[in-house]
Amino acid sequence: MEVWSLLLQGFQVALTPVNLMWALVGVTFGTAVGVLPGIGPAVAIALLLPLTTKIDPSGALIMFAGIYYGAMYGGSTTSILLNTPGESATIVTAMEGNQMAKRGRAGPALATAAIGSFVAGTLATILLTLLAPQVVEIAVKFGPPEYFALMVLAFTTVSAVLGDSTLRGLTALFIGLGIGVVGIENQSGQARFVFGIPQLADGIEVVTIAVGLFAVGETLYVASKLNRVAEVIEKIKGSIMMTKEDWKRSWKPWLRGTAIGFPFGAMPAGGAEIPTFLSYATEKKLAAHPEEFGKGAIEGVAGPEAANNASSTGVMVPLLTLGLPTSATAAILLAAFQQYGLQPGPLLFETNAALVWGLIASFYIGNIMLLVLNLPLIGIWIKLLEVPRPQLYGGIVVFATMGVYGMRQSAFDVFLLYAIGLMGFLMRRYGFPTAPVIVGMILGPLAEEQMRRSLSISQGDPMVFINRPLSGSIIAITVLLVVGPWVWKKLKKAA
Amino acid sequence: MKSLDKGQLALSLGVAGIGLFFLVGSFQIPDAAGYSTVGPAVVPRAVGIALLVCAAFLVYEVLRGGFKNHDEAAERELITDWIALGWISAGLILYGLLIEWAGFIFASIVLFLCTARGFNSRRWLTNAIIALVLAVGIFSLFTYGLGLNLPKGLLSGIL
Repeated sequence: MEVWSLLLQGFQVALTPVNLMWALVGVTFGTAVGVLPGIGPAVAIALLLPLTTKIDPSGALIMFAGIYYGAMYGGSTTSILLNTPGESATIVTAMEGNQMAKRGRAGPALATAAIGSFVAGTLATILLTLLAPQVVEIAVKFGPPEYFALMVLAFTTVSAVLGDSTLRGLTALFIGLGIGVVGIENQSGQARFVFGIPQLADGIEVVTIAVGLFAVGETLYVASKLNRVAEVIEKIKGSIMMTKEDWKRSWKPWLRGTAIGFPFGAMPAGGAEIPTFLSYATEKKLAAHPEEFGKGAIEGVAGPEAANNASSTGVMVPLLTLGLPTSATAAILLAAFQQYGLQPGPLLFETNAALVWGLIASFYIGNIMLLVLNLPLIGIWIKLLEVPRPQLYGGIVVFATMGVYGMRQSAFDVFLLYAIGLMGFLMRRYGFPTAPVIVGMILGPLAEEQMRRSLSISQGDPMVFINRPLSGSIIAITVLLVVGPWVWKKLKKAA
Repeated sequence: MKSLDKGQLALSLGVAGIGLFFLVGSFQIPDAAGYSTVGPAVVPRAVGIALLVCAAFLVYEVLRGGFKNHDEAAERELITDWIALGWISAGLILYGLLIEWAGFIFASIVLFLCTARGFNSRRWLTNAIIALVLAVGIFSLFTYGLGLNLPKGLLSGIL
């Protein structure tokens, strides 16, 4: 099989001492930012983007990807011990795992989350290995209209389908698209919304937006809204080892969680939130003792954690094979590729096979590293949780401003960061999702390019998106995703 | 009929303002379409119109009793601590003003102190020491270790 020889080549890249070191740095740093509230993988990768000028592409991308999936492991630790989900995908773990911790079962909860993440991460990487070449084979046949349609689909799912409100999601998306427009336009060389400010001519950096929305916005929100609420860190009593009974109750949820999570991530729909809830509901239905759910049932931690991890690995399928990011962190990973002048997609598998397969191989290695980091060494991360808020957030903003200023040595960016931070605060306060802003600003310019290309092929006829069978069906799916739930509701009411 | 939520209304009008900004601005972009038949002004114009439409729907929701699927009551219960917001804002603005002439280390210490104060920590001396260690650590790592330039400012003779 060709896949395995390609993967073997990948391992030759990933197993060099330097790249092993980058993987270790990535997963360690990823676990740390996953554990720490107030900073997530999107911010961490964004802050490290300037390093791309110093490190070779394989090393940097292996590290960035390590941060991405390492943060998933770290996030579950915080959810279980602190009951404040680091991100929406760990809400379920925060409920059920924290209940286990309150009943003195923090150890097994952490263990089933870590081992479940490992099982799901590894299985999902195998699925990614097998699926990626297949998708690439289809994707080489795609023309600009298909890419444009896929991007519209990604926009729609990220903003309209996920989250509480389609309207607020779309508003966030269009703000992101607007931000993406600022700067010198690629094809015509025309300056848009630059106002003679040289910093704007190069476009607004994704680092400023991501760090502003996520780190500064979060800091402002927590300081002004949540600082009065004291946090309780649950202690780990007894062994972190799982009993025979725990294993028996965990392994099936791990596998089912993987089966639920991976497809959700791999479709250009994204979102780790829905599969975790689905997995939770499934486990509750299948459990021998459903009455334990809500009071610390181990299945309710094992399943959703596996689903979360599998879906985050699944997100790599559209990202690597189509260049389609479906989460904020994936969008920033795409920006990292762009820093090297690389565009993920079917072409990358041909021109940079060693890089892509080295990256995929590093997932296998990273997951093993994470298992060690998050089980025997769990004590270190719990220490991190004990950093008091004033000093923790003080450190976060110092890092955040350093990253934004250091990028191009401009005080203008610091003020812009503050403005975006205020916007992030307001968005959080009024329930607007922030991920669509990031996806919009990164994917927007690419979508615009594909749209222009399509229209120049068709000599200006917009029917080109609908007439071609592939792009037509993708557009149809998109419309169904938006209109479907609404029609369904009306029909149910009428019945 | 619930009372009108002024905050939500203001925010919705803000969205309308951003939409108007893009719409009006798009007319100042010379729109030479060239071969593609779609010029560089089209997307900004579409974004402007879309944001205005979103804003209209947002206002409609506000008039109908507030944003849908948004727990305004829960948000209200968490009273906003404006002083905290003020301290951190001050820290960030000072950082922007100080970074060029005072340098990275001083600007970072000021920012750290303001943020910690925003989180109600009044242990100025302890915080200043932590900030100093952190700033010097970051500075050394990034300038000497990775070769990124951070401004030395007032310490340019020493570092």
